[in-house]
Amino acid sequence: MRDAYIVGAGQSNYGAFPDESYRSLFATAFEEALGSADGVGATDIDEAVVGSLGVGGRQLGLSGPAVTEHVGLHGVPCSRIENACAASGYAVRQAVQAVKSGMADVALAGGYEVMTDMSGDVAKYWLGVSGETEWERLTGTTFAGVYAQMASAYLDAYDASPDHFSKVAVKNHANGAKNPKAHLGFECSLDDARSAPVVADPLNLYHCCPTSDGAAAVLVASEDVASTCDDAVRVAGVGAASERVGLFQRDSYTAVESSERAAGAAYEMAGLDPDDVDFAEVHDCFAIAELLAYEDLGFCERGHAPELVDSGATELGGDLPVNPSGGLKSKGHPIGATGAGQVVEAFKQLTGRAGDRQVAGASVGLTHNVGGSGGAAVVHVLERGAL
Amino acid sequence: MSADGPARATLGIAGVGAYVPRFYLPASAYREAWDKGGAPGVDRVAVADADEDTLTMATEAGRRALAAAGVDAGDIDHLALATTTPPNDEEESAVRLASLLGVGPSVPTRQFGGSTRAGAVALAATVGETATVGPRLVVVADGPRGAPESDEAAGAGAGAAALVLAEDGPLVVDAVGEFGDPAPGTRFRGFGSAETESIGVTQYERDAYTRAVVGAVEALGIDTAELDPDAVALTAPDGKLPYRAANALDVEPARIAAGTVVSRTGDAGAAGPVLGLASALDSAGDAGADESDGRSPATSVLLVGYGGGAGATALTLSTEATDTNAAASSVVPVEAALDGDVELSYAEALRRRGTITGGEPAGGGAYVSVPTWKRTIPQRHRLVAGECAECGALSFPPEGACPDCGSLAGYDDVTLPGTGTVEAATAIGQGGAPPEFVEQQQRAGSFPVAVVAFDGPGGETDDRTVSAPAQVVHSPAGTPAISDRVEAVPRRIYEQEGVVRYGFKVVPTEARRE
Repeated sequence: MRDAYIVGAGQSNYGAFPDESYRSLFATAFEEALGSADGVGATDIDEAVVGSLGVGGRQLGLSGPAVTEHVGLHGVPCSRIENACAASGYAVRQAVQAVKSGMADVALAGGYEVMTDMSGDVAKYWLGVSGETEWERLTGTTFAGVYAQMASAYLDAYDASPDHFSKVAVKNHANGAKNPKAHLGFECSLDDARSAPVVADPLNLYHCCPTSDGAAAVLVASEDVASTCDDAVRVAGVGAASERVGLFQRDSYTAVESSERAAGAAYEMAGLDPDDVDFAEVHDCFAIAELLAYEDLGFCERGHAPELVDSGATELGGDLPVNPSGGLKSKGHPIGATGAGQVVEAFKQLTGRAGDRQVAGASVGLTHNVGGSGGAAVVHVLERGAL
Repeated sequence: MSADGPARATLGIAGVGAYVPRFYLPASAYREAWDKGGAPGVDRVAVADADEDTLTMATEAGRRALAAAGVDAGDIDHLALATTTPPNDEEESAVRLASLLGVGPSVPTRQFGGSTRAGAVALAATVGETATVGPRLVVVADGPRGAPESDEAAGAGAGAAALVLAEDGPLVVDAVGEFGDPAPGTRFRGFGSAETESIGVTQYERDAYTRAVVGAVEALGIDTAELDPDAVALTAPDGKLPYRAANALDVEPARIAAGTVVSRTGDAGAAGPVLGLASALDSAGDAGADESDGRSPATSVLLVGYGGGAGATALTLSTEATDTNAAASSVVPVEAALDGDVELSYAEALRRRGTITGGEPAGGGAYVSVPTWKRTIPQRHRLVAGECAECGALSFPPEGACPDCGSLAGYDDVTLPGTGTVEAATAIGQGGAPPEFVEQQQRAGSFPVAVVAFDGPGGETDDRTVSAPAQVVHSPAGTPAISDRVEAVPRRIYEQEGVVRYGFKVVPTEARRE
């Protein structure tokens, strides 16, 4: 199969935007993606794959064609993927498949979500739909609750403390403060992060990401097309895997097997290993998720994520910066946009466009996008200028 | 009427169970809140938790009675439920109780209600049932309510008691007496209302009570002096009325005390006299009777159910003195949790009861339909898991590919004993619950949720476990610790579309009352 390249990527601001619709947010992301791609125009796009959970319930069917028609991609086939918070990570993967298979020369992948224009009660319904519904959710468990259960098992199994969760929050806020598109783009102190109100013991407010409005778009192109572009990032490896949706159905509560499998497949396709990765955008919907990701992605051995946090290696300027964008915690988490948004950050980092948060000399980046509490995971390994 | 006949010699009470919610409101808190006296002779009233109702209490009492008698639910041949406060005015509550207990679908279920006499009537009717061969179960559960400012609300308690009747059960019903005489306005609840009331004409109501109770006892055709029961268990709307009847019945107040628990539980409606019976029979003598000063378990009891309006049913019960092995057989096994151990403030009690809380918020997603819920009832009610036909691993709920070997060969039903170990746990903070649980949180606050590794069918020594999520009730430490032992208890999970969804939660073993 032929190679696929990211030739353009853009996103809207993430945040709370009562004046924006999911279509207008997507249009902003699409415009930025087109603007970032030299030599590729809207008329070159022959396939579109987008991700969303349900746009707050207001457009359950056909929201994909709704956004592509809105941005003028008239007639272009569009599929919408629903894989909870991993929706648009999978959309990128589908676009890559379309290009690699030869069915498309330029494919648009993206995602969008509007989550802040509804009452807290209605939002809770929507946040509750991505776990195992009949048993897990109907014990009264929220998402924060499921990740808190994983955190409880992790704290019990390893030498870790809630302070490690707080340190992750401090790091991601420090990065997000350098990202003009971040939802919560401010720094926080360790004391702030330690003393926030409890959401689901042992997780407090600073250990949980916000819910956001936002959209992201990525242009995936064949080698022939990419060779006409100034900047192109090679999709060196893609991996994805599913897992039992309910935590209680799994073999482990301290590892996300789907992430581990997805990463293994992506590394294998890329012919690279974790040591080759210069930075990573990982799915830190809750601080414990970032610690688990370090281990699932092979950045450290099982149980050693707290040491990695303590070492400072994953800070901007460390050996392996994680979530230079601010991650879900600070940049924000518009569910359907998150996975594509990670690829947007990787594209910016690998093409030297990341501004104050630029990882110096980054040539290999990894994105890691998780649906629910691990029911779906997708990993991309991206390589700079390998044309 | 008399229960004389072939059944008399063989059918007797073989096990007694009782369950009173562990929350209680002291009379002093009521007095402080209302600046008035409260219910006479009531020291405290039991308050059901936000996720308890007559059916969950009935299940708790029923399971205890079955355990006390050493009878399997699957062997029960007749089930009677008595309550004045079923979850719905119209619906087969007894059928749901049968499912929660594991009583078979072809077993006759009978439901009694309409007045607080219902518990005694259910017992009399079950004893008189001639078509039944095997053991019978009578469960009485009640949680009366009144308007917040009323005397009825001041005394309103809650509780459930259950009796297993079986061949050679030691405590035999000797005779049944009935009495009815119209006395409108004495205790009633209007159609569609949740609040019991009365017209408040004190002497008229006392007379109606005494006349009906004495009338039913006289109808037994036995001289009360000759009867000389160790304990007298009467319907007790408050702590004074039973003692007023004592004079008319010519029994000592101590005998009333031995069969009355109202001072500890509040008005438990139809369950009151059966709770009194449980207390009188409790061999440890510590089951919460008003006076439990080291007395022996009663060997003869006069039980009278009274219903406003007014009517009464009296039963005399005694152990068979003629049995050659009387000493061994005269003790009726009792499993009773009669004493509350968690005190509430008045505001907390109003919250638990839902008096001052709102309903389910508006919303939409992740709706679980009633038919979907219904398909999981064996798991929700009785922890029915699956044993993989291929590899023998357990699966819960038993559906889809085997989690161990991936086989689609299907599952054989196995029932889990309900004990297990916490594998992961959290507590959902106030305001953070999914919409279905918002009202519960308004009523009862933050709740812990755990993933529990339930023991296999062989119990704690079974090598196999199977995991399921469950809310945790009465967790002293808040969030339970990993490795804590827990046990399943029946609870309301949530209510939607007017339909209560019953299922299991877990209680830490160390916090469970026996």
